[in-house]
Amino acid sequence: MKVAVFWGCRILTSQYAYEMSARQVLPELGVELVDLREMPCCGDIVKSINAFAAKYMAARVLALAGETGLTDLLIPCSRCHFTLSETQHLLRSDEKLREKIATLLKDEKLECPSNMRIWHIIDLLHDAVGLNHIKEKVKKSLEGLKLASHVGCQTIRPSTIKRVDDPETPRKLDELIQALGAESLDYPEKLNCCGAALTFSHREAALTLAGSKLKVLQEKGIDGLIDTCPACHTMFDAKQENAATTIGSKLSLPVLYYTQLLGIAMQIEMEKLGLHLNQSPIERILEKLVKRSN
Amino acid sequence: MSLTDLMSMARPDLGTREKMLTKMGKREFADCFQCAKCTSGCTAFKLLELNPQEVMKLVNLGFTGQLVASEIIWTCASCLKCMERCPQGASPYHVIMALRNLAVEQGGKVPETYLKAVSQILETGLMQTVQKVTTNKMETFDREKLGLPKINYPTETFKKIFLKALEEHEV
Repeated sequence: MKVAVFWGCRILTSQYAYEMSARQVLPELGVELVDLREMPCCGDIVKSINAFAAKYMAARVLALAGETGLTDLLIPCSRCHFTLSETQHLLRSDEKLREKIATLLKDEKLECPSNMRIWHIIDLLHDAVGLNHIKEKVKKSLEGLKLASHVGCQTIRPSTIKRVDDPETPRKLDELIQALGAESLDYPEKLNCCGAALTFSHREAALTLAGSKLKVLQEKGIDGLIDTCPACHTMFDAKQENAATTIGSKLSLPVLYYTQLLGIAMQIEMEKLGLHLNQSPIERILEKLVKRSN
Repeated sequence: MSLTDLMSMARPDLGTREKMLTKMGKREFADCFQCAKCTSGCTAFKLLELNPQEVMKLVNLGFTGQLVASEIIWTCASCLKCMERCPQGASPYHVIMALRNLAVEQGGKVPETYLKAVSQILETGLMQTVQKVTTNKMETFDREKLGLPKINYPTETFKKIFLKALEEHEV
């Protein structure tokens, strides 16, 4: 399977471990990634300023993806995924908008494709690659690891447009974790938001949201938290110390991208998965795995 | 015939309400019947006192002016739970986004970080600059050192069209 890939600002400018690990694990599973000619912002942040300009930006990314000649587009970021999915939906249903945007795109000889299938890491791995194929590729089972999943809010909502999983009871990421032999905890705070979007206007509140979720998870005695969104990951991993200070607790919870976890199970070299870039204490997970295999 | 807010003596602005209805297309916020499902699940309610149901009520009564000038519209975490759970198919999230757009149009209070992100897009096409990351072992890495491909930045033409699009207000 050959897919176009749109990374988005957060991954390209700071969340390198997600890009590195995705570029490693996906080809191993038969997914070839094709980068776009240009890598602009999807328009997410612009929605607050001017909804039309944001839609133009999203449509332009769809057009760039169409240029590859492929009909599948992978968007590993929750926020970009929502922005592009919603715009695609509106372009299909709103003729006036479609015409207005087509006129702007024409200046660059771009055209919006009508048949682009949009994927996120979660559904690409769960639905297209399949759990069985992933199980076959596991060289080192992660049995004994007790993990929890965090699904980005915008990957699963709103269900009025095509989303990755159920809006209230997402299961796919848990099943992907279980496919590697690890346990995935069900917990009441599963749908709690990471707060990333609030960092633009209310930094403390954002950190409180991330910190509170990490705290309840830590108290459950899990080995680590698994996520699949660069915005959420920044909050839980890079900003974990700040979040701890904000809520006045000590936090020390390993946080990994699912693509990193998958890479560990596939026994891909740690450095290639960007594991040295995580700021949370992930060595605890790695030590546990080493101890277990001795 | 219209209402007056006796606390502030504000009069409703039904023109802006109409403008918002047009802006939002099919998302009929007029269908809100104040069941409060949005507020009960709101991420920003507990911490920042965002009350989406109240926002819906004020917009429907035509008191958009106060909302546009208020900092409350910038507290939404965009988790989309309100939109998902609304039994009427109204979307407080989109109403709040439309109010933010109005605040920008009318030169209201807009958090600086949003404006900075937009100027960054006008400069490089991305909302933030490329960062070097420092590991826990104090080693510093950039994309090249990590073996990641170069970023293909957008062309000048894109920036020009984006600027043009920013002047459109959909109504």
